[in-house]
Amino acid sequence: MNYVQLEKLGEGTYATVYKGRSRTNNEIVALKEIHLDAEEGTPSTAIREISLMKELKHVNIVRLHDVIHTETKLVLIFEFCEQDLKKYMDQHGERGALDPNTVRSFMYQLLKGTAFCHENQVLHRDLKPQNLLINRKGELKLGDFGLARAFGVPVNTFSNEVVTLWYRAPDVLLGSRTYSTSIDVWSCGCIFAEMISGLPLFRGRDNHDQLLHIMRIIGTPSQQTFDKMSKDSPEIQVKQYPRYPKQDFRAVVPKASPHAIDLLERLLKFDPAERISAAEALSHPYFTSANTTNTFAVGSMAPPSFTFPHPHGLPPPQQQQQQQAYSRQPNYMANPVAVHQMHAAAQQQQQAQAAAMGGYGGVPMHYNAPFGHNPR
Amino acid sequence: MSPTFYPLASLSQIEKTPSRADGIPDDLEEDLRANGCKLIHEAGILLKQKQVAVATAQILFQRFWYVSSMKTFGIGDVGMGALYLASKLEECPLRIRDLINVYDLLSQRAAHSIGPKSSAEFKYAPMSYFGNTFYDIKDAIVVHEMQLLKRLGFNVQVVLPYGTLINYLRLLGLMSREDASTRAWGYLNDALQTPVYALYQIPTIVCAAIYLTTRHLQIILPSEPPHCWWELFDADWEDLWSVCGYIMRLYQERSEHERLRVVGMISKKGVRSWLEEHPSEL
Ligand SMILES: Nc1ncnc2c1ncn2[C@@H]1O[C@H](COP(=O)(O)OP(=O)(O)O)[C@@H](O)[C@H]1O
Ligand SMILES: [Mg+2]
Repeated sequence: MNYVQLEKLGEGTYATVYKGRSRTNNEIVALKEIHLDAEEGTPSTAIREISLMKELKHVNIVRLHDVIHTETKLVLIFEFCEQDLKKYMDQHGERGALDPNTVRSFMYQLLKGTAFCHENQVLHRDLKPQNLLINRKGELKLGDFGLARAFGVPVNTFSNEVVTLWYRAPDVLLGSRTYSTSIDVWSCGCIFAEMISGLPLFRGRDNHDQLLHIMRIIGTPSQQTFDKMSKDSPEIQVKQYPRYPKQDFRAVVPKASPHAIDLLERLLKFDPAERISAAEALSHPYFTSANTTNTFAVGSMAPPSFTFPHPHGLPPPQQQQQQQAYSRQPNYMANPVAVHQMHAAAQQQQQAQAAAMGGYGGVPMHYNAPFGHNPR
Repeated sequence: MSPTFYPLASLSQIEKTPSRADGIPDDLEEDLRANGCKLIHEAGILLKQKQVAVATAQILFQRFWYVSSMKTFGIGDVGMGALYLASKLEECPLRIRDLINVYDLLSQRAAHSIGPKSSAEFKYAPMSYFGNTFYDIKDAIVVHEMQLLKRLGFNVQVVLPYGTLINYLRLLGLMSREDASTRAWGYLNDALQTPVYALYQIPTIVCAAIYLTTRHLQIILPSEPPHCWWELFDADWEDLWSVCGYIMRLYQERSEHERLRVVGMISKKGVRSWLEEHPSEL
């Protein structure tokens, strides 16, 4: 293999992730190892992850560089990130809670990455702090697409076994199989509250308990809402629930600003049809209003500043420094114009790349066909 | 649907497929492709698998032959690998044991139909517990699933045409014509036995199915330039006509000899011995 395996970074539900260094250019990467089962063939998680991620190129999505096949395993080579959001909150937060500027930056990037997936007709279906990665520039990236799937044709019915319980949308908990992008938006809302308060918002023990936890906070929906949801997704199973009143989010998440509360309310709607979209959420006043330490033009809030000249592959002594610097709060680019230019340049580069490679990149491609090819 | 997720074969892959380069003539390749898709279809029915998984498998199967030759990979192995893979993609995974049994049954039936006792009734002889057949088939399925992934570079996302068909029929005001929608739906399904889903965008294929339907049922739609209905959907006439050609060739009568020769070529062994007997075709 062209990579030296270094220390273990994490273990997930189906894979082990190691830090790695490229033998050719010393670049530091993450190696996700997936064991191949002679009984079942290639795990469907790996199939989804690779087939979808190789197309999704965005700053807020972990980049898949390459895939290595061996007899016994598949190794996915990803861009390296310092840690996942869970560990970040544990280490940098105050009892897990992040400061308002960091929350806003991370939330913006989370929604940006999610909106990009949705634009490209991909549902992530497993958004949670462990699957969000933070690099030392303070960039947040969606990772772990093992449960993701493409959507488009509404006749499809999807698997109901998605999303870790605490971040699972109520419609899915009720048994919906026709859910769509709103399923990810719910998870974003849960993560938002967790970043502000330091604690997961709804911590149920099982499916039913999870629903009760949700209703205790956002209130038991009216019969009307249940009826409407049953009409939208006839497969859902509505039982009898205690009639909990809606709680005031200001009491639930006391640290949240009024704009944050308003956004949270829109993300955490019980009826999926009422939930805000990720793209809409990005232009919510929480991000765009001037009532903060910095001011931003609409929808142009910058990612945290690029304070580090060598983002990749630093030799160990320097890395020490980086580690220290990393503990600083990410801050925002002071000049939105510069950000625009940067985005435009990055976009151009991306487009040029796509054109040169016929749309495929990273993963070694054999089925090397141009997209939208028209044999005229 | 974002076009990035719907890769098509390149011109060079179409002009000379790997099988063609190995000396397998066009018409034989087309028949072998169709036969492999029929096999997938039959396995799907025996396994009561969902239609979306079967259709996805057929499209992956068709894509595969633009990157690999039938001399190197068997129709049956690739077909069953594709069905196994597509079932994972569509979230209705198959038990490998069930697929192994069905594949064995289909292979035995094919062998019987071209064997010396083909006139006698076919009786399935279940696999012996002690033989290697079970494990050989299992390995073949797992290996070919991996080959599909590898050789397609994990380009295994597929878009099915049915939603688009309903949309177009509505826009053309044909929703009330049940005969039309049934017939067009049927053409789209039959087209799964041809390579068109690896060659053309969905709108073009759907327009071709509607075109064949309106012609058959003598439904009049604006078809004189500059007012051609298919242009509403950005379909190009040449492409549409080419898709129609692929579909119509499926319905051409095949001679007994042509029918039987593809049955003997479910494994690559059959293809190789055919190539040895027909060196001139290269
Ligand atoms: N690119 C990466 N850089 C750094 N750490 C990573 C990276 N990818 C994953 N990890 C770590 O490994 C853990 C498991 O990875 P994940 O992709 O979520 O695997 P699984 O699908 O098994 O859950 C993550 O929670 C994270 O801590
Ligand atoms: Mg994970």
